[in-house]
Amino acid sequence: MQRLRSLALNPDGFAFDPTTGESYTLNATGLVVLEGLREGLSSDELAARLADTFEVTPDEASRDVDDFLDHLRTFRLV
Amino acid sequence: MTKLIVGVSGINAVDNPGPGIGVARSLREAPDLDVRIIGLAYDAMEPGIYMDWVVDDAFLLPYPSVGNETYRERLLHVQRRTGMNFIIPTLDTEMPFYMKYRQELAGLGLPVFVPTPEQYRLRGKDRLGELAQALELKLPRTEVVSSADDLERAVDRIGTPVMVKGAFYKAYKAHTTKEALSHYHKLVAEWGYPILVQEVVEGDELNVVAVGDGEGGLLGRVGVKKMWITELGKIWTGVTMRHPAMLGATERFMEVYRWRGPMELECIVDGDDVFLVEINPRFPAWSYLATGVGVNLPARMVRRALGLPNPASEAEDYPAGKLFVRYTYEMVTDMNRFQSMITAGECGDCAREGRTAATGPGDTTSAGGSVAGHGRAPAVQSGDTP
Repeated sequence: MQRLRSLALNPDGFAFDPTTGESYTLNATGLVVLEGLREGLSSDELAARLADTFEVTPDEASRDVDDFLDHLRTFRLV
Repeated sequence: MTKLIVGVSGINAVDNPGPGIGVARSLREAPDLDVRIIGLAYDAMEPGIYMDWVVDDAFLLPYPSVGNETYRERLLHVQRRTGMNFIIPTLDTEMPFYMKYRQELAGLGLPVFVPTPEQYRLRGKDRLGELAQALELKLPRTEVVSSADDLERAVDRIGTPVMVKGAFYKAYKAHTTKEALSHYHKLVAEWGYPILVQEVVEGDELNVVAVGDGEGGLLGRVGVKKMWITELGKIWTGVTMRHPAMLGATERFMEVYRWRGPMELECIVDGDDVFLVEINPRFPAWSYLATGVGVNLPARMVRRALGLPNPASEAEDYPAGKLFVRYTYEMVTDMNRFQSMITAGECGDCAREGRTAATGPGDTTSAGGSVAGHGRAPAVQSGDTP
């Protein structure tokens, strides 16, 4: 979580890790989830926010959150 | 303050650039230093010779391998011509000379800020194991070899692919033992022994440039992640980063080795694993990035060497996320500087004044006489083969 919090994130979805110099791009959905994670939301709360923001079903939103967390793990950001 | 007249080598701003131009630009940008830059070149084609907005005068030097006496005499010639009163050597092959004669050169009015031979030896490629331990970094499996048989055995033990690295410069990736042998012979022919065979580790290339004060402290440091490199592995685009393990290792290096002068820490970072690649005993070619983000390492080093205070207003720290972009550019100029370098081994204002003086009767100074291949014996030589 420390890595996520230290990311420099801009509203267009560009994220920069000042520790490693690595940069990432996020789509609109990823940006909402990442911002939620940095606020400390749980997976369920993230899914609910996604469902509210993008008009998708809670199941779809939940799957998307899980996929996104897998991506973050791949990049060793969580 | 006396005008600072600094000889800077490595002005070969080519696809495998020397560090000199970045160092010279940095000195010029220090507002408190009144600097004149003397480019110390080894070839009349080095682009820095023609960059007269960075390099005021340029002189050809003989290669250090021709012998210390010849090399020293040439530096004294440059000093007589220009009033040069400080030298920043930036090339690995120059370091043995400057370390050995540091005190003598200082006595002659040519101070340098370089490590001791012992410090230099302890950070050598053949001592990476001890170095990694002292800096609390990991080391890819590495073997030092000095024969083809040794190399084959090392490749067998480590397993392909491997990196085959020269004593001073260059590293090649080899996917087979045969390929490794080919690289080995090429590197030995060019740079001599020893050769390193190293496990290939995957990850991001992160480097730090720093200057040690010689008493265990840092005069400044900046870290970069290489984002784009050339085929020769040279950084073309990079971004400043602040990796705690690497910055910590840099501080430990200064403390443990009491390093004096510039250095570059090269690592490969894979998650939490930080692998030491090597430590170069000089400014890297990307040093200007540090100046660009407010940490003017060449200026800080020169002030320290001359006993001048480093201004409190000047940053010692830097932000992450500043982009470094190298680019190519062309200039068109007349042949004057080239002609002067070919015929006299020097060019620029001081060189012009010097040549005028040298035409007087009884002046036996030969401007280019000590430069190999540029003597005054009657000869005709193609201008494109210096």
